[in-house]
Amino acid sequence: MSKSITTRLIVLLTLCSTLIIGIGLLVDYRLSRGEILERLRTESRDTVKSAIIDLENLLDGVEGSTLFLARILEQRDYTQPGLKQMLKDIVENNEDIYGATIALNPERVDNPLGFAPYYHHKDGILTYADLASRQYDYHSQAWYTDTVTAGKPIWVEPYYDEGGGEILMTTFAVPVYRVDGQGDRFLYAVVTADLALGELHRYLQRLRLGESGFATMLSRTGIILSGKNPANIMRHYSEAHSDELDSSTWREMFSSALAGQAVTHRLECPEIYGRCVIRMDTLQSTGWPVAVIYSEKEILAPLREFQTKSVVLGLFTLLLMALAVYFVTRRLTRPLTALAQASDDIARGELSTPLPSARGDDEVARLVRSFTAMKKDLKSYIADLEAATANRSRVEGELAAASEIQMSMLPQGGEAIEQFEEYALWAKVRPAKSVGGDLYSYYRSGRQLFIAVGDVSDKGVPAALFMAKAISLIQQLTAAQIEPSPAMAQLNNDLEAGNDNCMFVTLFLGVLDLDNLQLRFASAGHTPPSLLRAGTVEVLEQDDGPALGLATDLDYPGNTVQLEAGDRLAIYTDGIDEAFNEKAQMFGFDRFNDCLAQTGPAPLAVAGPNIFAAIDRHAGTTPQSDDISLMLLQLATATPGPATNSNKVSVTGVDKVSTAGVNKKSASFQRGVRLIGPVQDWLQQMLENFGVAEEHHMVFALIAEEIVTNIDKYGELPAGGIIDISVEASAARVTLEFRDEGVAFNPLQDAQRATLGADIESAEIGGLGVHLVTQLTDEQFYHRIDGHNVLRVTKLLQDV
Amino acid sequence: MELKTTVTIDAEKSVARVALSGALNTDTAPDFEQDLQKVIAGGHQLTVLDMKDLEYISSAGLRVIFKAAKQTKAAGHRLAAANRKPHIDKVFEILKALPDMAVFANDRELDDYLDAMQKQVRGG
Repeated sequence: MSKSITTRLIVLLTLCSTLIIGIGLLVDYRLSRGEILERLRTESRDTVKSAIIDLENLLDGVEGSTLFLARILEQRDYTQPGLKQMLKDIVENNEDIYGATIALNPERVDNPLGFAPYYHHKDGILTYADLASRQYDYHSQAWYTDTVTAGKPIWVEPYYDEGGGEILMTTFAVPVYRVDGQGDRFLYAVVTADLALGELHRYLQRLRLGESGFATMLSRTGIILSGKNPANIMRHYSEAHSDELDSSTWREMFSSALAGQAVTHRLECPEIYGRCVIRMDTLQSTGWPVAVIYSEKEILAPLREFQTKSVVLGLFTLLLMALAVYFVTRRLTRPLTALAQASDDIARGELSTPLPSARGDDEVARLVRSFTAMKKDLKSYIADLEAATANRSRVEGELAAASEIQMSMLPQGGEAIEQFEEYALWAKVRPAKSVGGDLYSYYRSGRQLFIAVGDVSDKGVPAALFMAKAISLIQQLTAAQIEPSPAMAQLNNDLEAGNDNCMFVTLFLGVLDLDNLQLRFASAGHTPPSLLRAGTVEVLEQDDGPALGLATDLDYPGNTVQLEAGDRLAIYTDGIDEAFNEKAQMFGFDRFNDCLAQTGPAPLAVAGPNIFAAIDRHAGTTPQSDDISLMLLQLATATPGPATNSNKVSVTGVDKVSTAGVNKKSASFQRGVRLIGPVQDWLQQMLENFGVAEEHHMVFALIAEEIVTNIDKYGELPAGGIIDISVEASAARVTLEFRDEGVAFNPLQDAQRATLGADIESAEIGGLGVHLVTQLTDEQFYHRIDGHNVLRVTKLLQDV
Repeated sequence: MELKTTVTIDAEKSVARVALSGALNTDTAPDFEQDLQKVIAGGHQLTVLDMKDLEYISSAGLRVIFKAAKQTKAAGHRLAAANRKPHIDKVFEILKALPDMAVFANDRELDDYLDAMQKQVRGG
C-alpha cells in the first residue's frame, strides 16, 4: 500500500463502506428474495386456480342448460316442431354450446329411425342436422348408449362426431325418464349439449405461465383434450410424445389427480428451458385432470431482475462512495500535501516558499498556521543571526586592529630581542584573547637598563585599555630614570586616579646597572623572578607591595640583588604558572623553574620559544585562559669595560660570540672635519675581521657614509658630538646600528624623497642618501630611545 | 680614500675628458665640484667623465654630477659618463640618474659617439 495518507484513507474508507453497503444489500436481497419468491408462487397457484374456475364455470353453464332442458322434457310434451324450436333457441342463445340435440328414445317414436334434431354452430353459423339417419344411427352412438347405461347425466369421453358436429368434441348427456300410465318409468329421451374441444383449448390457452409455459387437460380415461402439441390431442397420455416426463410419473400424477388431489412436481425440462414445475389439479364437474407446466426460471424472472438491479445499484453506490471518499480525502489532505512540499522547500533554505492558505479551524489549518509562524520566526532568526554574525566579524576586525595597536605599544611589537655586548634580552607577550593586559618594557639609558613586566587584572578589552594607560605611564617614568621604588609609588597614584572599576596591575620594575651588575627592583604584588645561575635556578627573594591602582600613597620597598656575569633572569606573569591542562593541573613554579634550567646555555632566541612550547605542551587542548608574558635577560659571560672617548675615534667592546651566534662590534665617532674616511676605514676593518666577503664592503661603506652624512648635516649635534656605530655580522646578514644624540629625526619617514631623475637637485634634506640606503638594505628600523636616534639597517647577504 | 682628477682637453673636437680615480664621497665631493665647474665653464660641446678608475661614489658625488649635467644641458652641451664599474652603475640606476646623460659602457662606444657627433658637425 502506498505511504500516501490520501491513498490509505481512500482505500480504507472504500473497503469499509463496501463492506457495510455489501452487507446491507445482501440482507435486503435475502429478505426481498423470500417475499418475491412467495408472491410468485402464490401468483402461479392463483393463476391455475382461476383458470380452473373459469373452466368449471364454462362446464357448469353447459351442464345447467342441458339439465334445465331435460327437466322440462320430463314433465311436458311437445310436438316435434316444438322440440326443434326449443332446441334451436337454446343453441342459438348459448355461445358456449357448440351443438345440442334432443334424441328421443326410438322405441317410443313412430319412425323406426327415431327423432333427433341437431343444432350446432358450424363455422359460426347455426346449422341444423337430423341425426335420425341410417348413416348416423344415433342410438348406437357412444354418447347415447353410455348415457342410457349410466342412467344419469354424464360427460361423454371426447370423440369426433362424424356425421354430426364434425369436430372433436365432448358431450354432456342427460337421460330423460318419464312414468307411463302403468306407473312404469321409461326412457323418454337423451338430451345432449356438445362442447367443442377447441373451445376448451381456447380456455386453457389463457392459462399460460411465463413465455414457454402451457396447460394440458386430460379426460378421465387419460385422453389428452388440450395440450401444447396439437398432434397429441385425442391420444392417450401414455402415447403422447413427451421428453419431459416418463410415463410412470405421469401415471402417478394422473391417478393422484383423479383421486381429487392436487399435485406439484418439479423436474428438469430441457424443452422449456431449465427447471420447470408441473402442477396438476382436477375439474370438479368432469373430474378431468388439468396440468399446468411452466418454467420456474421464467416465473422467477422478476426475482432475477431484482437481483441484477440490486447488484447494479450496489456497484453504483460503491462507485459513488469511492468517488466521494476520494474527493473528500483529497480536499482534506490537499493542504497537507502542499504543506509537505513547502516544508521540503523550507528545509532546503528557500524561506520565501509560499505556504498553502489555511481556511477554517481544523487541525490542518492549525498546522499550516503553526508552519507559517515557524517560517516567519525562522526568517527573523536567520536575519538576526546574519546581523549578529556581521556584527561579530566587525568586532573581530576591530579587535584585530586593536591587537596590532596594542602590540605596537610594546617594544618591537610584542616579541622583542635585543643583543648587546653586556647582555641579551628576549621578551614576549601572548594574550589569551585578541587583546590582553600583560605588558613588558625595557629602556636603556647609558649604563642603566630599565626593565618592566606587568599583568593587568582581568583579560580582554578592559584589561587592554588599562594596560595601555599603564605602559604609557611606565615608559614616561623609566624615561625619566626614576628609581623603581619611588617610580612604583607614583605609578600607583597615577593608576589609582579615576580607576572606578578597581582594575589593578601587578608589576615588576627593575633597573640594572651594567657597570656593576647590580639589579635594583620593586614589586607590586608580582610573581618573583627566577634566576638561572650556573645551571641552578633560584627564585629571587623580594619585599613587595600591593598591586597598583587600588589605593593611593602606598610605599613600595626597594630590593637589590647582585647579579653575576652569565646569569639568566626570567621575569614572567602568572599566566605561566597558572596555565591549566585538561586535568585542571597548573603548570606551576617548579615546572617553570625546571624548564628554565633546561634552557641552559641556549641563546635566548631559542630558550624563550622553548619555554612557551613547554607551556603549550602542558596545556594540551585546554585553551589559554590568561595572558602569558615572559622576559629573559641574559648577562654576558665577561664584563665589558666602560666606554672611553679618544680624540678622534674610540672603539669600545671586544669581539665576542654572543648567545645568538653573531659577531658584533661597536665604535664611537666624534664629529670632525673629515668624518667619513675614519668611519669607512673602521667599518672595512670590522667586515674583514668578521669574514664578510670583500664584494660587499663598498655597499656598507656607502650606507654608512649616507647615514653618517645625514646625521652630521641635520642632527644639529654639538661640535665634538658622538655618533655610535655598531656592526653585527653573521654569514647571512649584516646589521649596522647608528646612534646619536641629535634632534629626533626619523629619516625613514621625515626625509622627503627626491623626485628622482628629472629634477634631482630639488630633493630635500637627506632625500637621495635615504633613498639609496632603503634601496640597498632589506630592513630598516628607527627608534627614538633615551633621547637618542637609533637607526638599524640590515642587509641580507644572499641577495648580493 | 682620496680622489684624483685628471682633465684632458681636445680643443679641436671640443671635448673635455675628466678621468676620476679613487672615491667620490662626501669628503672629496666639494673639491671635485670646484674642478668640474672649471671644466664646464670652458664651454666644450661634450664633457666626458671617465670612471674607469673610480672605485666608489656616494650621493654627495652624484649630486655634483647631476648639477653639472643640468648646467651643460642648459648650455646646449652634453655631459657623458663612460666606463662605469658595475657597482657604480648600480648607484646610478637606483637614483634614476640616466635620462639627462649620455652613457657609454666603454671607450669604443664613446669613440663611436664622438665620430658620429663629428660627422654631424661637418655635415651641418
